[in-house]
Parts: sequence; C-alpha cells; structure tokens
Amino acid sequence: MDEIMSRKRTSFFTIFWGILALLYFFLPIYGTLDFSLRMERGILGFKAYKIIFADPRFWEGFRYSVTMAVITIIVSAAIFVPTIYWMYLKVPQARPIMEIITILPFVIPGIILVFGLIRTFSRPPLQLTTSTFKTDILMIAGYVIISMPYMFRAVDVGMRSIDVRTLTEAAQSLGSNWFHVLADVIIPNLRLAILGGSLICFATVMGELILADFLVRPALGPYMVRLGLTKAYEPAALAIISYSLTWFSLGLLQFFSSRSERQKQQVITT
Amino acid sequence: MTHLELTHIHKSFGASVAVEDFNLTVKQGEFVSFLGPSGCGKTTTLRMVAGFELPTSGNVTLNGKDLTYVPPNKRNVGMVFQSYALFPNMTVAQNVGYGLKIAGKSKNEIEERVREMLSLIQMDKFYSRYPYQLSGGQQQRVALARALAIQPELLLLDEPLSALDAKIRFELRQEIRRIQQKLGITTIYVTHDQEEALSLSDRIVVMSQGKIEQVGNPFEIYNFPQTRFVAKFVGSLNTVTATVVDPAKGIASFDGINLEIAQGLNGKNKGEEVTIAIRPERFNFLAEQRKENVFDCTIENITFLGSVVRVQMKIGNSIFNMDTFNRPSLKLPNIGGKEQVTCSNKAVLVLAG
Amino acid sequence: MSQMFATRQRKLWREYPLWNWVGLFPFFIFIVFFLVFPSLRLFTGAFTNQEGGLTLDNLKVFENPNVLKAYIMSLQVSAITAFVGGFFGFLVAYSITQGGAPRWMRNVISTFSGLAANFGGVPLAFSFIATIGQTGIITAMLKKACFNLENYGALAQFLASGGVNVSDITNVCPLNPYTYGFSLYSLSGLVLAYTYFQFPLMILTITPALEGLKKEWYEASTNLGATPAKYWRDVALPVLMPSILGASLLLFGNAFGAYATARALTGGSIPLVSIYIGQQIRGDVLGNPNEGYALAFGMVAIMTLTIVAYSLLQRRATRWMKS
Ligand SMILES: Nc1ncnc2c1ncn2[C@@H]1O[C@H](COP(=O)(O)OP(=O)(O)OP(=O)(O)O)[C@@H](O)[C@H]1O
Ligand SMILES: [Mg+2]
Repeated sequence: MDEIMSRKRTSFFTIFWGILALLYFFLPIYGTLDFSLRMERGILGFKAYKIIFADPRFWEGFRYSVTMAVITIIVSAAIFVPTIYWMYLKVPQARPIMEIITILPFVIPGIILVFGLIRTFSRPPLQLTTSTFKTDILMIAGYVIISMPYMFRAVDVGMRSIDVRTLTEAAQSLGSNWFHVLADVIIPNLRLAILGGSLICFATVMGELILADFLVRPALGPYMVRLGLTKAYEPAALAIISYSLTWFSLGLLQFFSSRSERQKQQVITT
Repeated sequence: MTHLELTHIHKSFGASVAVEDFNLTVKQGEFVSFLGPSGCGKTTTLRMVAGFELPTSGNVTLNGKDLTYVPPNKRNVGMVFQSYALFPNMTVAQNVGYGLKIAGKSKNEIEERVREMLSLIQMDKFYSRYPYQLSGGQQQRVALARALAIQPELLLLDEPLSALDAKIRFELRQEIRRIQQKLGITTIYVTHDQEEALSLSDRIVVMSQGKIEQVGNPFEIYNFPQTRFVAKFVGSLNTVTATVVDPAKGIASFDGINLEIAQGLNGKNKGEEVTIAIRPERFNFLAEQRKENVFDCTIENITFLGSVVRVQMKIGNSIFNMDTFNRPSLKLPNIGGKEQVTCSNKAVLVLAG
Repeated sequence: MSQMFATRQRKLWREYPLWNWVGLFPFFIFIVFFLVFPSLRLFTGAFTNQEGGLTLDNLKVFENPNVLKAYIMSLQVSAITAFVGGFFGFLVAYSITQGGAPRWMRNVISTFSGLAANFGGVPLAFSFIATIGQTGIITAMLKKACFNLENYGALAQFLASGGVNVSDITNVCPLNPYTYGFSLYSLSGLVLAYTYFQFPLMILTITPALEGLKKEWYEASTNLGATPAKYWRDVALPVLMPSILGASLLLFGNAFGAYATARALTGGSIPLVSIYIGQQIRGDVLGNPNEGYALAFGMVAIMTLTIVAYSLLQRRATRWMKS
C-alpha cells in the first residue's frame, strides 16, 4: 500500500540498480586508469603516457585522424545542410525515404559496408586505390557514410526547431537570394545543431578502425590495435587518452548547448 | 443522510501546508464543487479522497466506513482527470470496460455495460476507436464513462473541462450535470471557474490557501459572501475598507466619503474598520434626484464584455467597477470625464473577514 | 534576362512538382556511389562465380562448419547482449525516471550514458583487459578474496561427510571469475564488454518513452482497481512496447556488426562473422573471393530478416498510435 501511496519515494531497487550502473560505468575506467599508471613496478607514474607521447607513429596517427575528421565534417555538412534545407523547403514528402537511407549505415554492419566499399573501389571501372590521395578520398566517403545517421539527425532536429519556410520567405521578401538565405539566415540558426553533429562525427572518425585498417592508412585505430597486440600498459594509457578525447568533444557540445540555452533564457527574461 | 465525511483533514508536503483543518460532510447524491484559485489545495483534497495522497492527519469516511488507510484500488471511487488520462493503447470500449475487467466480470457483462455507458454519453459509434482518434471533449466523455462504469459510490472530477475550449466546455458541463442527476451519484467537482461551480453545484466549497473560506449553495455564495476573499473571487465584487461612523444608522466612510448600509453595522463600534463590498451590477449612473449613496467619480476605463459594459471608475482614491447592460440607447461617458454614480443602500454588503 | 529565367523556372516547378527533387540529386548521387554500388556489388558478388556467371555455389560456404559456428556465435553474442543490456538498461532507466532516484544520480547516469554509448571500439577492449583480464586490477582484487576451507572446520566436516575430498579445495576464491571458466576472450568476455555500450544505449533510447508515461495513467488504472502489476501488464508495457522493440533492434544490430572491440579484445581469434569477413577482406582465407560476398550477404540477410520481424511486430504494437 505504501508503494501505491508514493511511487516517487526512492526504493531499495532504485538505489541498487543505480549503483550497479555507476559501478559498470566507472570500474572499467578506474581499472584502466589505475593499470595505465602502474607501468613501473611499485609506483604510480606516467611512464606509459610518456612512451605514447614520444612515439612518432602515435602523432602520425593522431594527425591523420584529426585531418580526416575535419575534412569529413566539412564534406558532410556541405552535403547535408543544403540537402536537408531543400527537403524542408521544397520536397517535404522526401522525408521518409531520406530517413530510411540515412539510417542504413546503422543497420548495415560497418564491416559489411567497408567490405562492399573496398571491393567496389579497388578495381576498375571505379578504382580509387591507385594512390594514397585517391584512397583518402575513399576514406572520407566512407567516413561520411558511417557518420551519416548522426549528421542527418542533428541537422534535421535543428531545422525542425526553426521555422525554415517562414525564415526563408522573410529573407526573400527582403531581397535575399538562395545562397544568402542559407548563409546569412539558416546556417547561423543551425550553428548548434551542426556543431553537435560535427562533434559526434569527430568522435566517430577518431575511433574508427575498420576503414583505415583495411585500406592501410595510418589512422589512430590501427595504431591502437597494433599497440594492443604487443604492449601491456601503453594500450591502457591510450584508452584513457581516447576517452578524454570523446569526453572533451561531448563536453564541448554540452557547454555550447547549455550556453545557448542560457542566452535564450536571458533574452526571454529581459 | 451523510455519505462522505472529511474530518479535520491536514496535509503537508514537507514544510509546506497544502490543506489545513478541512471539515466537510456530503449527502448522498449531492453535487459539491471545490472552488478556489490555483494552488489552494483543491486537487490535494480530492486526491486524499481518491486515496492517492495520505492525509497527514484527519479521516475520510464513506458510508460510515473509514477509508483513510484503504489503498486507492480498493476504494470504489471513480475519478476523472483534467488530462483525460485515457489509456492510449486501448480502444474506447476497452477503456470503459477496464475497471470491470479488473473486477473479473464476464465478457458479456462487460460488453453490455460498456454499451450502456457509451449510450449514456452518446458515443455508441465510437466503440472501437482509439483515443488519438477522438477530440478532447469526446475523450473526456469517455473518461467519464470509464469512471462511471464500475458503479462507484463516489465520483471525483478534477477540473475535467479546463483543457477544452469554451463551447465544448459549456456543452459538457450540462452533460455532466444531466448524467449525475440521472444516476444520482454523489459527486465532488474541482474547478477554479466560478461560473462552472455556480451553474452545476448543489453546494460550493470556496477554498483559499488550504482552508475553507465558505460553504454554501450557489445563491448564498454569490449573494452573501462572508469573507473578502469569497467576495473577490466569486463574481468580481468591489471591496473597500471603511471606517464605522455611525453604527446605529449604518454609516461608514472611506476616503472621506460616507456610505449608507441598509443591513446596518450592529455590533460594530465607531472608528472600527470594516470591509465593504458592492457588486458591479448594483451601480447606476445617477438618473433621478437622490441623496444617499451618490458618489462623484472619474471614469478610468470602459470595456465591452458582450452583453455587458464594464466601466472602471475612481471614487475617492479607490477603484470600482460598474457593469451596465449593453443597450443601444446606452450613453457612455468619456474616459477621464467626471460623472455621478449611485447604488442602493441594500446593495452594500458588510463582510466578516 | 535572369529575371525571365527565374520566372520560367518557377513556372516549370509549378507545373512539374517532381522537378523539386532535383535539389536532392547531389545527395542521391553520393548515396548511389558509396552506398548503393557497394551493396549491389555484395549482392552480385554473392551470386556470381569468378568468371562472372550466375551461380548459387557460393552459398555452399554456409556448409563450412567454421562459418556456421561463426554465425551462431555472432547471433548468440547479439541476442544475449541485446537482452542483458536491454533489460539492465531498462531497469536503470526506470529507476532514474520513475523510481525517484536522487537528482545527482540521475544526472550522472544520463550524462554517462551519452558518453559510454560512444566509448566503443578498441579503447573499450583495452579497458576490459586492464580491468578484468588475467592481470587486471579487478581480477587481482577478486583473486585476493580467498579462504582456506581448513579454517572452517564445521563446513569442511560437513562437506567431507558428504563425500567431498576437502583437501582438494584448500584455497577457495569464490569471487574469482576465472575459476568458473570465465575468459575475456570468449563469449562471456564479449558479453561483459559489449554490455558496456549496450546498456547505456538502452538508457538513451528508452528514457524518453519512460518519461512519456503519464502519472495519470497509473492513477487512473489504480482508481479502477488495478494493482501495479496489472497496470504494467495492461498499460505501461503496451505503451512502451514500440520503443522497447525499436531499442532491441538497435541493440541487436549494434552488437551484430561490432568488429573493433572483438578484434582488439581477442586479436581476431574469436569466431565471429564480422571477424571472419575481416580476414576475408585482408586475404581470401576461403580461397574463393565470391564466398566472401556470400558471407557478407548472409549478414545482410539476417539484418533484413530482423528488420522485417521488427516491423511486423511494430505494426501490431503501434496500432493505437497516430501514424
Ligand atoms: N506532491 C507535492 N509535493 C509538494 N507540494 C505539493 C505537492 N502537491 C501539491 N503540492 C502543493 O500543495 C499546494 C496545493 O496544491 P493543489 O494541487 O492541491 O492545488 P490546486 O488547488 O489543485 O491548484 P490548481 O487549480 O492549480 O490545480 C500547492 O502549493 C502545491 O505546490
Ligand atoms: Mg489542481
């Protein structure tokens, strides 16, 4: 009866499951951190980190992955922002098909996608593996496809929250052309959505293994796997570094979105 | 014949008190409204009757049986929620029949009763629709049928009409009253709309800040408010604090202006402060020569309210409203103009608090 | 001039609204090249032989017991982690939305779900090796919690009287998972590691649905005489079912396609289809590249079947919803 009276009272099971979840979250991270600091017998130290940061292949992988991530973000924004804008404005009936297409990379296993990509583009007539530059183009295309579900959804949600049609009509009535509407009105209002999609895109590319591994490009993912096969403590340190990166990108997003939230609130209250 | 009895009900949430010393008896078949502003504790009181909240102290008795500690699913009390709360995954028929299904009634019996309830609310045709296929008003009818299907001993409605638009609200109001009278079911109806309470109820409980201000039938509540709060909340009474000048003759004054009061000021002393109330419809522009209760005023504002025109005016330093019927022959004063208004000394009420 | 062109263009669009689709062409072209062509390649590859003729021979690859084993293993891992992660995630999500968990706990869990669902791949494997691998920190702790049965005379006597040879179990470590045949490089290890990203994903997807459960539904059902159990059976579960189905599909697919974690955890020694296909890409282990296509095709077929089953169930579960 007590349970019926006040369902919101914290029950034993609530606390139990909550604590279990927290343990599941934190124990592996704590374990990794602890392990990564124990490279030297008997003392806690940053030796494993020092080794990684002194490894030129780490920096090569890091630089390569960051470069790829940035290009991926630019390409994907260049494809999705105008496309989704057009969809909202002119062909809203295209939404269902767009949604299905963009969810596909979630549904098709990554390894299959890469398998298909590699087999299609590694021989004529569409061969793209003849030079590293062309291979990198293939990499970017693959990354764009893999991160498509996130980018599409982020921009889509952003567009939905602003009244695209009215904004466009207002700008056009003031004499703007298409390009200016997009650049001056739509994109500034979508900043946060694009940033959100970009950061998830970034995290995805930084952690991606399959494409780079099979196309034999020097990204961070393959480097990590190789390190894992031969070393004990460095991989743990690398995992911590990688988590920090993810953490940092998502934290950045949180920061920006809560700031814009606050700004909105200020506008309302003043 | 006492049916429902609430005695010395207290409810506090942590440090804040939601309901304080609430006492009420409701007769079999009576329609009682709880009327009061937002946050005054109407819902909390109702939920204690339904069993969703446990009173901090006090008792709820139904038909002589103490319900205070009976869990809500054993009370046989029907409830209708402001947000309809129809189960979205069930059809109209399944919703209405749910309580019977829980009670373990046979399929035929449920079917029969559901049909009966649907014809009572005149929605037979909607038998197998889902809630999303119904308008708000229809959903609320179904919710009413669902609450009534279990043949509860008591029907509770928490602002059932406030999510609906004005026209539907009016229709459904009549409907609720019709069904209630037909079934003769004891009903408690929570609202913050005075018109609803006045037009529906046998009795009204006016509440403020967790306490009962006044209990009475609509006529008493409207015409003889006992407290300044009731006067302000029910209708839009003008109230002003006045000083007793002559208790015997029934004269008091505010802002240096004398007022004659027909009911007198018995029991008051000279110099004592009293609260005076005058209904806006009791004021008139001065037409014939009169001596008592003639006031000089400045017109502040004029609002058309359909059949009524509301004139806001300043008498002394106090603002009053005057309502007059909107006749084509009506000559309206200019805003900022000086006029003379009057009211009968019988129209001046003296409030208790 | 351009004015005239614009006018004509507008007229064209009005008369043939299909012209509006032209604006989506750049996107569609990209998709055709990098999503449709590769998929078609898989499909045609699976049903042609090396000379380009049509054949069903490639499907013989499924007669290979190793391939079958890999498929079964993959399905097991996906189903188990989807179920375990889904169930656990549901309970946690319920606790933080409806169960009245303290505010700080709610915040920490929802923040971490967002993070952990993205902590996949190689680093996660490293974390589990460092934590619960043979030399992991937690393993070391669990290994320490041992006792000698000889120190518990009464229990030893009891067991001895039952015919147990007590001297065999002098050093018992009941918490050490490795005494129960646990290995990070086997099914149990994969399940443990995958659950790390599965259950936060469940929390993320199911929380909005749980938040959409109205308090009034519970109260209305109680008011009509239902017990909490009946409320769950008749109202809450049916209302949540579409979201639960969706989340299950997501979790299943997520584990089915996972590659990096398994690869880094086991160095590619565990027989999963994804690992097998990886080896096939690197160099044809099967000797016939077209059998690799068939292998990949099988994976797509399973996902397709899953989605078809999902949409059939979903149609039933969403009858009461606005379309
Ligand atoms: N669960 C609760 N916890 C804490 N305070 C509560 C709770 N429920 C109600 N209160 C407080 O009790 C007081 C009375 O609330 P109640 O809901 O009864 O008001 P009401 O008269 O129904 O108002 P409304 O017309 O807005 O529905 C309010 O001040 C409210 O803040
Ligand atoms: Mg209320």
